[in-house]
Amino acid sequence: MKNIGMKLAAVAFLAVVASPAYAGKGGSAAKIRSAIQSGSVDAITAEVERAESLSCSECVQMVTNLLEDNRYAVREVAAWWFAKRPQLKDMVATTMVDDLKSGSTIKVRNAADFLGATVTYTALPTLRAAIHRDNLGPEAKLALVRAVSFMGHLGGNEVLTTAMADSDASVRAAAATAWRDILGQTSATPVVGLLVDSDATVRAAAATTVGGMGHVGAAAQLEALVVNDSDPFVRRNAAWALGKLGQESSRVALAKASTDKSGLVRMVARAALASLK
Amino acid sequence: MKTFIKTIAIGTALLTAAGAGCGGDEDTGPLGNVDSLIVLQRPKRNDMGDIFQYTSYKPKTESGVNARLIKLEPPTADGKQTVICCDQAGPEFANIDISGYDIDFDAKRIVFAGKLSGNTKYGLFILTLADGSVEQVPTDPARDYVSPIFLPGDKIMFTTNSVVEAGARQHRDEYERGDTLQLGRINTDGTGEELGARNLSHRTFPTLMSDGRVMFTQWDHLGGMNAGHLVFVNQDMTNLREGFGKEGTGASNSVLKAQEISGGRFVAIATARNRTIQAGALIDVKLGIKATDSDGNVTAVERQSEANATYTDLTPDVPHGNEPSADTVGRYYDAFPLNAKDKPDLVVSWANGPVESGVLGSAGLEADFGVYLLDTKNNQRHPLLDNNEMWDVFPRPLQPRAVPDISGSSIDPNLNGATMIGSMDVYQSSLKTFTPGSIYGVRVMEGFSSEEGFGRMFGTTMFEGQANLGTARVQADGSWLATVPANVPLHVQAVDVFGMSMFSEPVWVSGRKNEARVCGGCHESRDKATIIDPGQTDAFAVGPTPMYGLTPRAMRKSMDFSRDKIMGVAWDTTVQKVFDNNNCLNCHDSRNLAGMQPYTITDPTTGLSVSWTLNLENTAVPAGLAELAGEGAFTSSYFSIAGPDMEAVEKGDMMITSCSAPNCTQVNYAMPEDSRNSRIIKSLNPKRQFPTQTNERAFPTSPHQNNNISADEFYQLILNIDMGLNFYARENNPGLNNY
Repeated sequence: MKNIGMKLAAVAFLAVVASPAYAGKGGSAAKIRSAIQSGSVDAITAEVERAESLSCSECVQMVTNLLEDNRYAVREVAAWWFAKRPQLKDMVATTMVDDLKSGSTIKVRNAADFLGATVTYTALPTLRAAIHRDNLGPEAKLALVRAVSFMGHLGGNEVLTTAMADSDASVRAAAATAWRDILGQTSATPVVGLLVDSDATVRAAAATTVGGMGHVGAAAQLEALVVNDSDPFVRRNAAWALGKLGQESSRVALAKASTDKSGLVRMVARAALASLK
Repeated sequence: MKTFIKTIAIGTALLTAAGAGCGGDEDTGPLGNVDSLIVLQRPKRNDMGDIFQYTSYKPKTESGVNARLIKLEPPTADGKQTVICCDQAGPEFANIDISGYDIDFDAKRIVFAGKLSGNTKYGLFILTLADGSVEQVPTDPARDYVSPIFLPGDKIMFTTNSVVEAGARQHRDEYERGDTLQLGRINTDGTGEELGARNLSHRTFPTLMSDGRVMFTQWDHLGGMNAGHLVFVNQDMTNLREGFGKEGTGASNSVLKAQEISGGRFVAIATARNRTIQAGALIDVKLGIKATDSDGNVTAVERQSEANATYTDLTPDVPHGNEPSADTVGRYYDAFPLNAKDKPDLVVSWANGPVESGVLGSAGLEADFGVYLLDTKNNQRHPLLDNNEMWDVFPRPLQPRAVPDISGSSIDPNLNGATMIGSMDVYQSSLKTFTPGSIYGVRVMEGFSSEEGFGRMFGTTMFEGQANLGTARVQADGSWLATVPANVPLHVQAVDVFGMSMFSEPVWVSGRKNEARVCGGCHESRDKATIIDPGQTDAFAVGPTPMYGLTPRAMRKSMDFSRDKIMGVAWDTTVQKVFDNNNCLNCHDSRNLAGMQPYTITDPTTGLSVSWTLNLENTAVPAGLAELAGEGAFTSSYFSIAGPDMEAVEKGDMMITSCSAPNCTQVNYAMPEDSRNSRIIKSLNPKRQFPTQTNERAFPTSPHQNNNISADEFYQLILNIDMGLNFYARENNPGLNNY
């Protein structure tokens, strides 16, 4: 309960020093409460959005609680609400950074989602450290990947490369996908190794990233995947990637893939063939 | 003969099912010429309240029924329902969710948007009806592609969060926060994917018109503008033009899912942006002058313009906002016209009761959309199909339809990848009357969102990030041209010789690579015949003003703040220096040697109040004011000039107490996009900028403290204000630092 305690302390501080309560865009504490009681993600999202400029201790408490909701969409909109109140956000971020260091899987998940959604760049060093913790479950690591993906900052690369070696396939796949979305990312090299991952979802994600980033050096591996991989999603993504690379050397593999038994693959391969140089 | 017999059968069935004629052709009913309807069935859900929500994924109902396309044949309540996709398409489709579809012109193929699993994205698929085969269209597997429609020439248009600009991230909607959807198209054989120029916010629900243009809903967000409007583009996504919703014609905050009834006439959903499950009232929009032919068919082809547009509420009891709808009133998810009568017959998707996500969530319910034949003349709904586990949506007749012409293109390869924008005569405007000769030029600014590395706010004024690209001089005949970066949102202002905005176009526009996007005027009257031929203008003879047309995004910033080089105007590093360099703080810092009186903001409910006195220091705003000042990094000088978030103050019923004496601190000293009427500019009295900088002042009054602020510094102040009065620009982007 340390986390909640700290957050409520922040709320109490705000109640003392903050400006008067006021409502923006028609929001109100009662409407947020009603939405929360409805259990509807949609309603909660809408009311928190309408309370973009709302400032009252009652609302802060409610939105603070939403930061620990089990649904990402709820945590995200709650974090956005805090992002509109940077001084309070900074106070909550401090407790969240502490959670990254020593919190449980769920606390790390919530902390990473908060720090990512509020674009708290100063948390990047702690995010980098947290991904190396050996006592976190996939849910936390996925959130760490999600956070640096949302920020899109090169300072998050270490989080992604570490996640690419994680024992959980969903973490590896998420990291492979996120790699391409970092601003200023220039090379897909760290992702290439995942083209031979034991998990099909990882191979599929890696194929998309190396193709999307135009990593020509991976053409041979993609050609092998498009013909031989047992998973149609991998074959499809490999075909798409080869179309992006546009290498004449891929013609034979793509021609074979154009008669693939899966409807996911055939047209993708034919179109890729048409794009070869 | 076969058709005749079939028609009689369907007409009889309709009478049986509905218990009454349906107000159409007396012999056949409005569905008399329709063999079958295609209907999309999606498992019911309650997470699609926002009109731009496109990622909802729920492939199966609790009883295990998949999302699917079905055929209802004949289109009657007792017609046979046949699943046509995707139960036979293979194991990869076992968990598919389908969000939208379109039927090809010859009714032999269907293109649909589907998501195959929780960890994949929505992609496009083509179903061949003859054999039931399904093939995926090659799209980026890491991006969503939704709302497909067939275009003439074997093409498919769609919306996607894929990014047209290499190395850039997709714009992120500043309020709804989703990665924005933009237009794109691809050949039906999977080749030739093209992505259109970007808006700063979403574009959704494209639909093809009989004149060959595409209409869709565009979210317009620029300053106070924050609404979903209908706009047009050509099939190659060039030549964007407004359609319906602005200039006082709007029926609601958002208008979406338009379907053409006849020339110049559409049925669409009018609703709020959120909580209404993308459903609302049905409106009959007429863009031009209403005309009725001898058969009673109504068109609105002549003098089409947004200003001339009108609408009729076809379902007057249905709310246009997001309040819960009443029992028996409900909301409509979509509608498709069956004829063009004055009161048209429609096949619709409708759900009863409170189609509002909060109320539904409280009750543990989801909206139950079913398919109905709606007689708008008698306001009667006749049920055709309602699976209680599913949303039964997008009913469409399965029948061939006319192929519109391929619409024109505004592509000019000679632009080498840039976009050319301009006007034939900037003085032609339906929104503003200009004194002849008063406009020096047209300033063009680029817009961007937080995806470039910013936090969640650019300032307290709710404007998005902007960068100045330059000012094109207006020629003697009122024309101007500029070459600008392709695929980026642009904002234009008519400016005077002092560089101050005289008028801001209230929306973002954008053009594709090599698009020549030349208007008649400055939001000229759209129903006047205007020959757009920039080759006839003085601006064409002079040549377009170059405005970074081929400069990469990352390089579109400048640390040279002189008039012709300045791009972004960061507050703490640029505007602050104007105050620092000109002795402004000698009187207006925390010491308040000027003796200014404060203003006070009071919450009438609690009685709590805060006060503020003009302070031009580059210091943090005190904690007690941080909530009103927005971003914690915003400074005292920014808060003093920009003021608090006035939207919050006004809608929160806050009381602001000031005084009227000359030494009273004002709530703000600048108004975004309006430097000309901003106190700080009027007081300091700026110097002339164009065509050359001189000491001539803009106003006849004496400059405050007889200041000698340089012309470049004045332009920095003016530009910051006219670009939305933001604190952040690319030049002080926190995302560019190392962490």
